[in-house]
Amino acid sequence: MAVTVLGISGSPHRHGNTETLLDSFLSGAETAGASVEKVVLRDLDYTPCKGCNACHKTGECIVQDDVITLFDKILAVDCIAVASPIYSMGITAELKGLIDRGQYLWARKFILKTLYFSNDHIKRHKGLFISTAGLSWDNVFDAAFPAITAFFNGTGFEYYDNIIANKMDQHGGIKNHPTALTEAFEKGQTVVRVLEKGMAEPIPKK
Amino acid sequence: MPTKVLAFAGSPRRHGNSETLLDWVLASMGDDPDVTIEKIALTEANISPCRGCNACEKLNKCIQRDGMDIIHDKIIDADCILISSPIFCLGLCAQVKALVDRAQVFRSRKYVLKLPVVPPGRKGKRLGVFLASAGQKWDYVFDAAVPSIKCFYHVTDVRDADISYLMINGIDEKGAIESHPTAKADAQKLGKAVIAELKKRLAA
Repeated sequence: MAVTVLGISGSPHRHGNTETLLDSFLSGAETAGASVEKVVLRDLDYTPCKGCNACHKTGECIVQDDVITLFDKILAVDCIAVASPIYSMGITAELKGLIDRGQYLWARKFILKTLYFSNDHIKRHKGLFISTAGLSWDNVFDAAFPAITAFFNGTGFEYYDNIIANKMDQHGGIKNHPTALTEAFEKGQTVVRVLEKGMAEPIPKK
Repeated sequence: MPTKVLAFAGSPRRHGNSETLLDWVLASMGDDPDVTIEKIALTEANISPCRGCNACEKLNKCIQRDGMDIIHDKIIDADCILISSPIFCLGLCAQVKALVDRAQVFRSRKYVLKLPVVPPGRKGKRLGVFLASAGQKWDYVFDAAVPSIKCFYHVTDVRDADISYLMINGIDEKGAIESHPTAKADAQKLGKAVIAELKKRLAA
């Protein structure tokens, strides 16, 4: 069975630097034999989390919109690549909107105890964060990582790697960056091989 | 001249912990008869996320027509801007992040078009307050929210040193802040201090 890879583009800007970097990762994964899909958040119809905490009782979100279908998809794939440009030192409101809506999974894990990811499951599910920033500061991605960590924890993925490139303004866009697109392509190939190797290993008995 | 206070209640949950914290600060500010206060609940404010189109770099305005049309002017007019947010997934809630990102129009004005955001005479006379509540007890739970908030104030001409913070962790259920040992007193003290400082600066 082919490794399944889902790319989630959190940029409101179609085919910009971040989505181009994601595309390069996905084509690397495809070349390595993965089955690849890309979802663009701005094309989906969803609202931010309402903070109503109804999911703490039921494990279900009361808002049934495109986000629920997307989470079903996320939970079914082997690898996710979450992409967002840095806006105001953080991820975009679109991506934060998606991540906050994962609260019902958090409730299942920690309140209702109906969802559990074993260490073996987490090892076999890899998550990557893909990002670009205009600024040259080395710390420009730092405030984005915690929300991504929370997202991967909530969905049962190992936070496997980052593909990040700053100084976009200086380089005049991702296409002029000396290494980022190649790095993304190669990391796409590598993660598929790593996951294939993991699939070949027997699932440990409890 | 009244001192103008603009407050954004960022939580999608009305009258929850972060908004209560905000209300305490506002109430103590409102004890001064010269202070006018306006509070906007972001969950009802119709602010779409930034589209990243960069049109504001040329147009000096946003191409989107929504709640920000009115809020944009209020941000310029205010002497003090308060933002309250709960921490969701170690960051600002998406509603507050949308407000912060839509401040891009001020960033374009300031850095691309080189135009003033507030009249020169009002520079250095604006104060900011960030209030937050978090369910987790971790002391680093607010770390990833603060940089984005600093961006908002930076582009709206509130100096970094002029932002006050009151961030309370370890409160989760609705109303939990009411039983916090120091939050209310700290909020009241902060409200008084901010208004006193503002009056001093506006009189200078």
